[in-house]
Amino acid sequence: MEMHLPPEGGYDELFDADNKIRPHYQVIHDWLTQTDDELIAEKRREADLLFHRVGITFNVYGESQGAERLIPFDMIPRIIPATEWHILQAGLRQRVTALNRFLFDVYHDHDIIKAGLVPAEQVFANPQYQPAMQGLHLPRNLYIHITGIDLVRNNDGDYYVLEDNLRCPSGVSYMLEDRKMMMRLFPELFTRCAVAPVEQYPAMLRETLQASTLKPNPCIVVLTPGRYNSAYFEHAFLARQMGVELVEGADLYVHNNEVYMRTTAGPRRVDVIYRRLDDAFLDPLAFRPDSMLGVPGLFAAYRAGTVVLANALGTGVADDKSIYPYVPDMIRFYLGEEPILKNVPTWQCRKPEELRYVLDNLSDLVVKETQGAGGYGMLIGPRASREEIERFRDAIKARPDNYIAQPTLSLSSCPTLVDEGIAPRHIDLRPFVLTGKRIQMVPGGLTRVALRKHSLVVNSSQGGGTKDTWVLEDSEC
Amino acid sequence: MLSRAASSLFWMARYLERAESIARLLDVSLTAALMETNSDREQQLIAPLTISGTTDTFYELYEDMTAQNLIDFLLLNDQHGGSVFSCIRSARDNAHHVRGNITADVWESINSSWLDMKAIRQRGVSESSVSRFFDWVKERSHLFRGASYGTLLRNDAFRFLRLGTFIERADNTARILDAHYHLSTSLENTESARDLFEWTALLHALGAYEAYQSIYADRMSSENVAELLILNPDVPRSLRACLHETAELLAHIEGDAGRAAKRLATSLSANLRYGDRQYIADRGLHEYLTDFLARINQIADQIQNDYMGVA
Repeated sequence: MEMHLPPEGGYDELFDADNKIRPHYQVIHDWLTQTDDELIAEKRREADLLFHRVGITFNVYGESQGAERLIPFDMIPRIIPATEWHILQAGLRQRVTALNRFLFDVYHDHDIIKAGLVPAEQVFANPQYQPAMQGLHLPRNLYIHITGIDLVRNNDGDYYVLEDNLRCPSGVSYMLEDRKMMMRLFPELFTRCAVAPVEQYPAMLRETLQASTLKPNPCIVVLTPGRYNSAYFEHAFLARQMGVELVEGADLYVHNNEVYMRTTAGPRRVDVIYRRLDDAFLDPLAFRPDSMLGVPGLFAAYRAGTVVLANALGTGVADDKSIYPYVPDMIRFYLGEEPILKNVPTWQCRKPEELRYVLDNLSDLVVKETQGAGGYGMLIGPRASREEIERFRDAIKARPDNYIAQPTLSLSSCPTLVDEGIAPRHIDLRPFVLTGKRIQMVPGGLTRVALRKHSLVVNSSQGGGTKDTWVLEDSEC
Repeated sequence: MLSRAASSLFWMARYLERAESIARLLDVSLTAALMETNSDREQQLIAPLTISGTTDTFYELYEDMTAQNLIDFLLLNDQHGGSVFSCIRSARDNAHHVRGNITADVWESINSSWLDMKAIRQRGVSESSVSRFFDWVKERSHLFRGASYGTLLRNDAFRFLRLGTFIERADNTARILDAHYHLSTSLENTESARDLFEWTALLHALGAYEAYQSIYADRMSSENVAELLILNPDVPRSLRACLHETAELLAHIEGDAGRAAKRLATSLSANLRYGDRQYIADRGLHEYLTDFLARINQIADQIQNDYMGVA
C-alpha cells in the first residue's frame, strides 16, 4: 500500500527526521507495505462490522437523542518502546501523587497557598472548588482513584502533559476494545511483536475501588447517567467486566444516611460508587435541584462517611486549566522532586501582562476556556479565521480569568489509514492511572487520532478516531 | 439484582418471544389462507390481528385486507407495538438498558438482530420472500436462546429473562390455539381435508408437528391438538411445559418478595399438571383458554408488582 511521508519539521512516530524507519516500527512498516491493498480494505470492513455488532458506539450531544455513532477505529497501531514507557510511567505516578496531595491540601490545611505558590483566589474562587469538602476525611486520603492524563509529543520529540482529567475520564473501554479487535484481525502481528497486555485493566479497577474503602468486601456499583449518555457503552462495559451492578440514580436511595439499591430481594447496602456523573448532578438536595440523574441525600451520606465516591467530590479544582500551570510547583512542593513530565508553557489571561501578550499573539496561540472540555470552546490561532480570532478577542477581554493560552504544539503524527492511502495524522495519548493501596496503570492507554488532514483536534465528538496503543516489551519489533 | 434490571430482562425476553410468535402466527395464517375460498381467505388473514388485538390499528393504516398489507403491518410497521420490527426494537432497547447484566454474546445476538431488522425494513418483504423472513426470525430467536442458555450465569438475571420467555410463550400458545379453534368451527367449508391442512399448519408454526405425529399417529383432530398444546409436558410450547418452567423459575428466585406470584404460578401449573381432556372438554376449549389467559396475565402482573416495583 502506498505510504505518504510526513511533512518536514514535525515529529512522526514511524519515520525519523531523515525519513528512516524507527526500529520499533519496522515490523508494522514491512507488513503495511507488503500487504495487499484488498486485504487491508477487507480487514477494515470486518472491523467496522464487528464494532457495529458489539455496539461500541457513542452518542453525540446536540444530535437527536439516542443517535448512536461508531467511533472510528484505525487499524495501524501506535507503538511506544519500553524505555519511553518507563519514563512516562514514572512521570505519571509522580504527577498523580502530587495532584492527590494537592487536593488533600486544599480541602484541609492549605499549605501550598500559605506558602504562596498558588494564589488563594485561584482555588477558593474556582467554581470547581467544593466548600463542603473542607475538612472531610476520606479513606486513605484518596481523592482521585481514576485519572486520565492527556499527553502529546511535540516537534522536539518530548512528551508534554496537555491536561489532567480528574473527574470522570472516559475512553478506557475503547482502549480495551481496540486491543481485542487488533488481536482478532491480525493475530500474526502479535506473535511477531511482544506487546504488553492491557486486558487486566478491569481487575485493577476493581481492586482500586475495593481499596477505596476500609470496609471488607464492599458492595461496589457503577453509577451512570443512563443510556443516552455519550459514554454509556463504557459504563455498562466496565460494570460487566468487573462483575458489579450498573445503576442509575433511580435505583439508589438514601435511608438514615446510608445508600441502598433497590433489588428484587429487597434493599441492598452500597459501599462504593464509581460514579460517571458530574458533581453537580449527584444529589439534587445538595447541588442542582433540577437534576433527575442523582440520588437525593447522597451527599449527606457521603459526608457521614458511609459511602465512598470515586472520584471524590470537588476534584475538578485540580484539573482546571487555570490550576494546570501550577502542577510542576506542586510536584516540587509536596514531593521535593523535579517533574519528570513537562507542562506546556501557559499564559494566564487573568494576569495583565500575560493577557497583553496573548492578545498581541492570538494568531499564533491556542486559547482554551479554563472550564472547557471535549474540544469545545477552543481557538487554534494558526488555523482560525480572522472573525473567529476577533470573536475570541472580545470574549477574552470580557472575562480574562476564563481563558489560558498556550503555544501551538504540533502533535506528533502516526501513519493512519485514510482515503488517499496511508498518511500521517496527528495523535495524542491518554494513559489511565489507578490509585488505591498503590498506583497502578496498564501499559499504554488510549491513542486518539485526528482523522482530518492537518487537524489537531482528536476528540471523538469532533471527528477523532482511536488506535490500539502498543507498549513493546522489547525495544524493537 | 436490581429491580429495574429484572424488569428490563423480563421484557427483553418477552419482546423477542413475541417477535417470534408474530412471525409464527402470520406464517400459519398465510399458509392456511392458501386453501380457502375468497370469503374464508379474509377470515384466515385477519386471524393474527384478532389474536394480537390490532385489527382496529390495522384498518387505521390500511384500506384493504391483503397479504402484502398484512406483511407490512405485522412485520415491518413502526407505528404500533405489535410488529416484529417494534418488538425487536423494544427488545434491543431493554437489552441496552441491562448491558451490564448480560454477556457480550447475548447482547451481540440481539444487537445484530436489530441491525439486520433495520436493513430488512429498508428493503421490504414481499409475499414471495416472506417465508425467508420467517426463517430469519426463528433463527435469530434460536440464536438468542442459545446464547443466553450457553453463556449466562444461572442467577436471578437468567431467571427473570427466562420468566419473560415462558410467560409470553404460554400467552401466545393459548391465543393461537383459541383463535384457530374458533376459526375451524366457524368457517363454511368444514370438510376434513381443510381441517387437516389448518391444524397441520398450526402445528408446523408451533414447531410441534413432529411431536404430534410421533405421539398420536392418528388422524388430525382438534381435540388431539388441544391436548398436545395444553397438557403435554414434553412439548416445549405447551401450556403445561411453560407453566412448569414458570413455577420452577419463580421458586428459585432469591428472597421472599414474590410469594404472591409463586402461589399463583404454582396453582396454575398444578391445574395443568393434573388436568385432562375431559376436564377441558367439559368446560369448553374456548372458555378454558379464556380463563387461562386471564390467569397468566395475573401472574405477569404479580411478578412485576412483587419484583419490579410496578403496581
